[in-house]
Amino acid sequence: MTRKTIVELTEVTKIYEGKVMHRALNRLDFEVEEGEFVAVMGPSGSGKTTLLNLISTIAVPTYGRLMIDGIEPEALKQNDLALFRRRNLGFVFQDINLLQMLTVEENLVLPLTLDGLPVKEMEKRVAELTERLDLQDILNRRPDELSGGQAQRTAIGRALIHKPKIILADEPTGNLDSKSARDVLELLSQINQIEKTTVIMVTHDPIAASYCDRVMFIKDGEFFNEIYKDERRQTFFQRILNVLSLLGGNVNDLSTVRLP
Amino acid sequence: MTFRQFAYRNVMRNSRSYAAFFMASIFSVMVFFLYSMLLFHPSIEGRFLQEVAIMGMGGAELILYIFTVFFLFYSLRAFLQARSKEFGILLHLGMEKRQLNRLIFLETMIIGMVSIAAGTVLGYMFSKFFFMIVREIVLLPALPLYLSWEPFALTIGAFLSLFGIISYVAPVFIRTGEVAELIQGEAGNHEAHGYSKSRGYLGLLFLGLAYAMAAASGNVVIIRLLFLLPPLATIGTFYFFNDSLPMLLQTIRNRKRLYWHHFWLLSISEGVVRLRENARMFFIVTLVSTIAFMSVGILASLTSFASQYREMHPLGLVYKSEPENELERQHIGQLVEELNVQKIDFSLIRFHVLQQTSSFTQNRVAILKQSNVDMLAHSFGYPELELDPGEAIFLPPSASSYDQLKDQTVRTQLVESDVHIRITGAYPYHLFTSYSIGTNAIILNNNDYDKVLESVYTKNLPSFTYYAFNVPEWQSTKEIGRSIDATVTETFLTSDAEPLPYTFENPGLNYSVIRTTFSLLLFIGLLLAAVFFLAAGSFIYFRLYTSLERDRKQFDVLRRMGLTDREFKKIVNRQLIPQFFFPWGVALVHSSFAFLTLQVIWDALAEISIVKELTLVLAGFTVMQICYFYLIRWRYLAHIKATG
Repeated sequence: MTRKTIVELTEVTKIYEGKVMHRALNRLDFEVEEGEFVAVMGPSGSGKTTLLNLISTIAVPTYGRLMIDGIEPEALKQNDLALFRRRNLGFVFQDINLLQMLTVEENLVLPLTLDGLPVKEMEKRVAELTERLDLQDILNRRPDELSGGQAQRTAIGRALIHKPKIILADEPTGNLDSKSARDVLELLSQINQIEKTTVIMVTHDPIAASYCDRVMFIKDGEFFNEIYKDERRQTFFQRILNVLSLLGGNVNDLSTVRLP
Repeated sequence: MTFRQFAYRNVMRNSRSYAAFFMASIFSVMVFFLYSMLLFHPSIEGRFLQEVAIMGMGGAELILYIFTVFFLFYSLRAFLQARSKEFGILLHLGMEKRQLNRLIFLETMIIGMVSIAAGTVLGYMFSKFFFMIVREIVLLPALPLYLSWEPFALTIGAFLSLFGIISYVAPVFIRTGEVAELIQGEAGNHEAHGYSKSRGYLGLLFLGLAYAMAAASGNVVIIRLLFLLPPLATIGTFYFFNDSLPMLLQTIRNRKRLYWHHFWLLSISEGVVRLRENARMFFIVTLVSTIAFMSVGILASLTSFASQYREMHPLGLVYKSEPENELERQHIGQLVEELNVQKIDFSLIRFHVLQQTSSFTQNRVAILKQSNVDMLAHSFGYPELELDPGEAIFLPPSASSYDQLKDQTVRTQLVESDVHIRITGAYPYHLFTSYSIGTNAIILNNNDYDKVLESVYTKNLPSFTYYAFNVPEWQSTKEIGRSIDATVTETFLTSDAEPLPYTFENPGLNYSVIRTTFSLLLFIGLLLAAVFFLAAGSFIYFRLYTSLERDRKQFDVLRRMGLTDREFKKIVNRQLIPQFFFPWGVALVHSSFAFLTLQVIWDALAEISIVKELTLVLAGFTVMQICYFYLIRWRYLAHIKATG
């Protein structure tokens, strides 16, 4: 089965200029196929978030080439980039970042209102999503009245409502308890399987990574290793742990290990 | 790093968020200092005008001081609450409550001291300029810059004590109960804001009622209830911001077609949050702005009163003498000589005014001779009167009474002299004020006047001799007859003194007094309004600044979500504009209605229209506010994008 490549990084280098020059990514090659569920792992400061920002098109590579869904973000104007993000990308953040003054429902429709869809269409999509994400009862609540899991489910709903091609998740389970974390991960992999939406997830958590099709490890901005999932999640998880110990990251990075 | 250094660095590194606050307090110190400089000026002593100046300055200083107390109190509380997270960390690290209080005290005193120093220095720098303006207004020969300890002592003393008290009281504002709660900071403070529907409607009702009353203040009944207006409007405004507005916004929220439309979703929901946080501030800003508009508007209208003074006093000097006046000759001689010495052109007309009782109204009526009036009219270039024997004409004291009298015909008999006359219409030109001739005056044809004069001689009735000095350059006469004027004023002020047998009216002098008084008050008022203006802006700026962190995060989310720069600007506009212009707009509406009432009162008093001045004042303020808005938006956008 040959699938289309949707994200392609070729020898991408990202340097942050400033008082201290910092090379966040160094000649990194990375490809994601359509419909894939990929995790990016690495110790703190390895460049995971930079990688995600590049794919989010809110940062541009210093050197190298980046293609997303056949376009080169560098070539687009700021305005077109914004429109591109609005239509093709969905974001899930570690600290959830729901807009505090909006209710759950309003947070969900926010991306659609920016595009000026008719209210009927918006309501239809909200109805679809709430059922799948189990949000019916909390539609009129405000973010500060939600549990962590509910808030993250809302955030995922917000990322999904405009039917994006790629979902970018930055530590989506970082602030959740283990039960909510599992729900969120199952949700993501379900979306990935049913809708064939590409999901790229940056994580510290080997359990979260074990839900993916493939895990890429980076260290100090460079490619380190890559493993594919096998029949059982248990063994995949074990192999991820092995790579992590090889990676020799900070002990702290492994402290979140929780066996299922 | 010593404790003091710590406090110092805290202030310096927070200087950005303190900027607007600094600006407002420096400006208020500066204005206070300028006022005190004038208050203690050595060359201002004694004269009536200077008394007005000193009273105005003193009053303005008092208002400024009281306002500054409130301003500091409110701002400081907001500052400290915004920094509660920082205080939480300090307490967490083991700082004693006592030390924390000392820290706050030190910080506030540093801010206070810097503001006082900067304000005084700036004030001294600008005082020469200030004196120049005041000199122009008060028409003093010179108002030199001077150096004396008094204004410095007053300013520094006043504000040092102010800051001292405030910084001593300030720590009360932070609730240091739970350290953990403090560390959570503002974020933990998000309880839903309840608004009461009944109060919401009440607010609208109060405002509507106040406006209706103001609009209908021509009505006699309502004039009596006028004192109810300010409290009604105040309470109405408070409920309006606290309840009515959230209620209105909620109704919009319930209409998805409206609400889920492009930026409305973000703008309205953001508006609700801002309103919830700032309802009280909006209320204060509205009141302050209303007061500023009103005071400047009133003063401006007084200035317009002065500019219409000439029309009301077409003649130059008027000296009125009663029969028993022995000083008549001496005074007239003095006046003529003074006019000659100053080389002022004039024409002197002497005439008599008789007193009779009209059988029609049973009131006293003053009677002028046709030929005398014609003489006066001639000097103005007005046409002569044509009156047949038995005919008379009203001499109206003002333009509106001319409108009333011009179509009236009255048959009456002058009781004392038994002369029958028919009074038709009114004299169309304005010659005298009601003060000099009285409100009830007629012009009689020469024949009948002579008959009346006979009876006056035989029955020894009162008659007055008038000397009208028609001076084309009427403003130049303000130094003429000062000694007579002084005597008249003195007798007028000491109530139990014998009334003088003469009166003296010098419009040139009166005008210069009125004009300078009003201009000076207007100038003082404008400075005060500027302080209010800056203070109101500083509240808004500070509120924006404290929510910057949250806004920045939100901006980041939105940017990833695909918000273009232009859309972002639009959203920021939609969030800022209401904050800036809503309280302003409400204040504008408030003061417009207040001026409706004022116009009615003015109409009764002086028949002048204040529309022009008001439009000018309100437009001026609006322009200033727009500039301020762009300035602050520019800073806000820069900050929010800085680390986006």
